Amino acid sequence: MIDALLANLDTLLLLALAIGALSGAALMIVLRQPMRVALALIATMVCLSGIFGLMGMHFAAAFQVLIYVGAVMVFMVFAIMLLEERDAGAARYSKLLLPGIVGLLLLLATLVGGVWRALPSPRGELSDAPLGMVKFSTAFLAEYWLHFELTSVLLVAAVVAAIAVIRIGRRGRGG
Amino acid sequence: MGTLTLIVLLPLLGFLLNGVWGTALGGRAMGQRAVAIVGCVLPLLSFALALQACMQLARGGWAPIVETAYRWAQLGDSGFDVAFYLDRLSAVMLLVVTGVGSAIHVYSIGYMAQDKGFGRFFAYLNLFLFFMLLLVLGRSMLVLFVGWEGVGLASYLLIGFWFDDVANARAGKKAFVTNRVGDAGFLLGMFLLYQGLGTLEMDRINAAFAAGQAGMLPASLAGVLLFIGASGKSAQIPLHVWLPDAMAGPTPVSALIHAATMVTAGVYLVARLSGLYLHAPEASALIAAVGVATAFFAATIALVQTDIKKVLAYSTVSQLGFMFLALGVGAYGVAIFHLVTHAFFKACLFLGAGSVIHALHGEQDLRKMGGLARRIPVTFVTFAIATAAIAGIPPLAGFFSKDEILWFAFASARGGSPWLWAVAAATALMTAFYMFRLLWLAFLTPSRMARDVEARVHESPPSMTGVLVLLAALSAVGGFIAVPHFLEPQLALPPLHESLLAAEQPLLWISVALALAGLALAAALYAGRGERARRLAAALTTPHRWLLGKYYVDELYERVLGAPLVWLSDRVLLRVSDRLLIDGALHGATAIGRLGAALLGRLQTGSLQVYAWFVLIGIAGALWWGVRHV
Amino acid sequence: MDRTQLLIGVALALFAIGLFGVVVRRNVLVMLMCLELMLNGVNLSLVTFAQHTGNAAGAVLVFLVFVVAAAEIALAIPIVVLLVRDRRTLDVGSYDELRG
Repeated sequence: MIDALLANLDTLLLLALAIGALSGAALMIVLRQPMRVALALIATMVCLSGIFGLMGMHFAAAFQVLIYVGAVMVFMVFAIMLLEERDAGAARYSKLLLPGIVGLLLLLATLVGGVWRALPSPRGELSDAPLGMVKFSTAFLAEYWLHFELTSVLLVAAVVAAIAVIRIGRRGRGG
Repeated sequence: MGTLTLIVLLPLLGFLLNGVWGTALGGRAMGQRAVAIVGCVLPLLSFALALQACMQLARGGWAPIVETAYRWAQLGDSGFDVAFYLDRLSAVMLLVVTGVGSAIHVYSIGYMAQDKGFGRFFAYLNLFLFFMLLLVLGRSMLVLFVGWEGVGLASYLLIGFWFDDVANARAGKKAFVTNRVGDAGFLLGMFLLYQGLGTLEMDRINAAFAAGQAGMLPASLAGVLLFIGASGKSAQIPLHVWLPDAMAGPTPVSALIHAATMVTAGVYLVARLSGLYLHAPEASALIAAVGVATAFFAATIALVQTDIKKVLAYSTVSQLGFMFLALGVGAYGVAIFHLVTHAFFKACLFLGAGSVIHALHGEQDLRKMGGLARRIPVTFVTFAIATAAIAGIPPLAGFFSKDEILWFAFASARGGSPWLWAVAAATALMTAFYMFRLLWLAFLTPSRMARDVEARVHESPPSMTGVLVLLAALSAVGGFIAVPHFLEPQLALPPLHESLLAAEQPLLWISVALALAGLALAAALYAGRGERARRLAAALTTPHRWLLGKYYVDELYERVLGAPLVWLSDRVLLRVSDRLLIDGALHGATAIGRLGAALLGRLQTGSLQVYAWFVLIGIAGALWWGVRHV
Repeated sequence: MDRTQLLIGVALALFAIGLFGVVVRRNVLVMLMCLELMLNGVNLSLVTFAQHTGNAAGAVLVFLVFVVAAAEIALAIPIVVLLVRDRRTLDVGSYDELRG
């Protein structure tokens, strides 16, 4: 039994992480308090990170945790904490719940029928060949160098914009 | 450019020059003197050229001169030309129009000297002359019709010349609209002729009838329709109502347009198409009947009128009736003869009346005149000569032409009868009577003028009296121009009843007797203080009231035609079709637009989540479509 | 079902649930988090395909998505903070100036 388990460990782990991610997503919709929703999202992200690792994209997994969980979600948690007290008993769902459900079902139907079923045929079970750091780096700095530079521009722009927003905020406060 | 074309165009040039630089439009660049010179020299030039053209015609053995100015429209093989035609008949008309017209232009210099619309007046007068010449010289009925409408326009402009007074403007409108009613008949007649003969050129129409090629064309119907048009222009019953109202215009206008030239256009039209009317006995009979009835009817009204110009206006209607009577019994040349003599004495009478009005500073009521014979002698003498002429006293012009009409009305084999003669003779008696009544009341009775007016009575300037003398002279000797004889090669005189030939001499003496009787009667009733006339009027109150009210024809038209039209226009056309349907459709369209906008506007809820939902649906839809069609 | 199909299914589901959450939840911060969820779904699909086809473009794009998401959240949250400071409510339903 343990052998069978160990032989298919990858598959089981993948399945477990997938289920985890989906549960986290579902919980996000259902939970009432924003902090709990944030935690659900963090759980989803961690599961995704695991999936990335199992796929052999270790750097992606690392960045997922580092950037998404470590920066984005921490910032989000801070924001929640800052703005929390105001709306203790606010409503959970907008008036578009039912239309939203209808839309969701439609979208899922389209996606499943159109995209999921049409996926290409399997190439073999759990092929584990990792993409490899070398291959990734070469591509990133050779073929996609422009995108690399543009990201740095984007980050500068974001920093400048953040400073500008602080300024606006200060002026609004009368300072 | 041919002579005829030049004759037509010179007055047009005058209109353009005076119309632009003589009026406020061009900043009154031309002073009054320049306007007067331009306005009179050009018509006089046309008259000189007309004389020259007539001499050329004579030298050519009286063969008609045709000048084609240009091709107006090409329709397949045939088309319409603008062409001018000079033969005996149009030569006579041409000389009258340019001659009398020029004289009246000269008269206007003095009459309108104080008017601030001096430039405008001469511009319109020249415009009128241009259109009248188109009418007279046109070869095709189309060109004639252009002139026809054009003189109607000029008439409208000139009747309402002093348009600050709304009544004048209304009179102009009445003239134009009544004319248009007649024009409907004219147009239908033209259509009929074109359809039947394929041409509208009048010489060719006459030739076709003479050669018997008219075939299936109902000549009488065409004749009646054209006569309807003529009666609109020449103020015959029932379209006569505009002419008395037209007296609202300045007196030279009344003389030129509503006595000498425009109103005779109807007579001219029928005479031109004599070839047609010779083959249309029913139409001719109608013309004679309407003519004599109009003559009688208008004369009765003239008996009691108190405005000097109104008497002359009804007199004009009556004399036009005489002309149509002559046309109706086939004596086309005689009708033209009367047209010519009438132009002379009626223009003289109107201009004389203008002189009186000028002397009295605007007074037109006969009851406030009198005693003018000594004060304005030139006007008096010329007026008296013209009055005698119209009354038919020999050897003045009116006697010859009127006597010829009476004779042919009696004896013509083409519809003459003793009845026609009797009514016409009675009318002649009345004509003499009311004209001498006018003479007595205005000049020979003791003065009834207002004190301040009487003090300022003065004779008119030479530019006015000179024309009066000229026209009076023509009224005196004009009868000796043997017009019917001259026109005979073209417009043959009708055959006469053999049995009646002996009556010619007696009838002649009767005519003279009637004229003198009218004179005597008028003198008897109106000399002195006019006591006998007043007693007569008091004894016959009802007839007097009917005559004074012009038989209430205007009121009848208003009740029967005017009021229903106004009702229709207001109730149906305005409220229903204009406001309800057309405006309603427009408002409906805008309402639909607005409704659509309101409904679509609801989509913009401002809610982010609604928009996000649309994105959701949109993605689903786009995916579905994309997958389907890949 | 092989690994690719499973993971793509998960990615599609994450995306759909994220979009649904944006439409449905009232709290503005929760909406932002659902947006992040959508981005994560996309990332997963990119990684799956990159590994499946061996094409490095997918991996590169993943990296770019990380950067963009970080920049975006760095600005979105301050904007939300400023917005909430004015209105004193986190309820998206009351942000309707663009109405009409």
